[in-house]
Amino acid sequence: MHGIPFHDLGARLAAWIASWRRVFEFGARALVMAASPSAYDATTRNVMAKQIYFTAWQILPGFVLVCALLCYVVIRIVVSTAVQYGLSDYGLSMVLRLLVLELIPVFVALFVALRSGAAINTEVTLMHIRGDLEALQARGDDPMRHELVPRVVGSAVSVVALTVLGGTIALLLAYFALYGFSPWGLTEYTRAIGQTFDPTVTLGLGLKALFFGLAVAVIPITASLEASREIRLAPIAVLNGMVRLFLTLTMIEGASLAAKYI
Amino acid sequence: MDTDNKAVPAPEAVSATSAPIRHLELKAVLLIVLTVVLMGGFLLYVFYARGAFDSTQRLVLMADDSEGVYVGMDLTFSGFPVGRVRRIELGEDGKVRIDVDVPTRDARWLRVSSVFTMERGLVGGTRLRAFTGDLSAPPLPDGTVRAVLRGDATEELPRLLSSMKTILANIEQMTAPDSHINASLGNVHTLTERMNGRYGALGGLLGGEENARKVIASIDRANALLGSLSGVTARLDRTLEKTDQRVFGAGGMMDEAQKAAVQLNAALGEARESLKKADAVLAEAQKIASNTRVASEDLGVLRAEVEASLRRAGQLIQEINRKWPFARDTEMKLP
Repeated sequence: MHGIPFHDLGARLAAWIASWRRVFEFGARALVMAASPSAYDATTRNVMAKQIYFTAWQILPGFVLVCALLCYVVIRIVVSTAVQYGLSDYGLSMVLRLLVLELIPVFVALFVALRSGAAINTEVTLMHIRGDLEALQARGDDPMRHELVPRVVGSAVSVVALTVLGGTIALLLAYFALYGFSPWGLTEYTRAIGQTFDPTVTLGLGLKALFFGLAVAVIPITASLEASREIRLAPIAVLNGMVRLFLTLTMIEGASLAAKYI
Repeated sequence: MDTDNKAVPAPEAVSATSAPIRHLELKAVLLIVLTVVLMGGFLLYVFYARGAFDSTQRLVLMADDSEGVYVGMDLTFSGFPVGRVRRIELGEDGKVRIDVDVPTRDARWLRVSSVFTMERGLVGGTRLRAFTGDLSAPPLPDGTVRAVLRGDATEELPRLLSSMKTILANIEQMTAPDSHINASLGNVHTLTERMNGRYGALGGLLGGEENARKVIASIDRANALLGSLSGVTARLDRTLEKTDQRVFGAGGMMDEAQKAAVQLNAALGEARESLKKADAVLAEAQKIASNTRVASEDLGVLRAEVEASLRRAGQLIQEINRKWPFARDTEMKLP
């Protein structure tokens, strides 16, 4: 058994840092391009719309159903536990913090990562191996503008849209689970909402959803672009991209929790 | 090792070319619009829930300790939130300033007489509460600075424990075998034992049967004495009744005396008349010396009348003396 040679370790670390640098560089470029209205032409819009359609619209009924079920189960567990411990005053606040602020964004990010992140990773890896991107560039087309950025923007929009939708479902279900179909809980409910969603928390939720959305596309795309151009290694590129995506999502969630509670 | 690039078509390329999606861009735009509307609505609701659209007045609570107080925390009145903590800061004097925003519509629950407390329970967070005893007092003006009273269950615990310890030590001392309370209980036992004896509580109180017996004998004698006394009183009563009857009753001594006095009056009147007549006769006798025979005859009659009157008066006096124990001076002086 030999340990990893020091120079090898150094090279790995350098490669790891370079790889993350590429992730941030690509993310920054994508953001800049997404923020400039001139970048959106018919092709870009079409790819973006397709990305939104496949990521969010197509799965909408299933997502709503699964989300409602998950929310209902969590709400029942939290509320009944809170009542048992005589903390019913805090039940609603706990539900809001747990579901709307933490579980639903992560659930949506993982959902989109598994479905679209993996698809984007595979697709871009294949395009990279086939040399499609270079071919486009040779034709005078900007692959970044017409192929990659629309996917990033589409994914980000989809993640934010699904998070907002899931959050709305959770808010409605929480109200009905706690007060039934009566309007008399509205004052207390409004108060709990006001207490839970202070400006920092609300801003944090928005930023978290945005980062999740960006990560879901940016990391698989970067992983695909740095893969070696061999078809047999394509699964490894996808695997690397997905693992890195999972780690990133965990880190974003961890950072958000740390910022809020530490 | 062979690479067959053509065999792997891009999945999106397949879906994009094989079946064009209907209203693709419309659906995407619809989803984006829905998201924006939901987000905007939620943000407005949060602003409303945080009281961004309420007009508020300020209340400053001064506390020693801000532990457990956080921005956004409620100030409750009767369990209902009437204010929200806006800011917490440490003042120059080392006291904590808690700025509370009270919506104008809820400000009517807070009066100048209101009391504010900060309570910390064993479970759950700190609570800021307002108590208003007199709702007719003038309303609390904007920007009022009030001290907050603290009630802390956990802070009370050590003091509670130390007093409990003292109490337990006292109880231990009280229940020790040679304690005063045990000695007292022993005495009580002796006492109750005596009370159970022949003379009951009396024996217990007097400390022995002998004494109790003496007391009982004294009581018996006193009873007998009282009996004879009551006989004496009855007799005395009867005597008094008789005396009353004899002296003041009909035909009694007083009655007779009255009658005798009336008769005496009448007798004295008669005697006066007789003396007047005698006076007149004597004057006539002096004047008329010649008619001595007539005068001496008249004198004889007069003398007999005077004598009769005097005899009757004498009888009367005697009778009175017999009936009433007047002074034994029976001499009667006549003019």
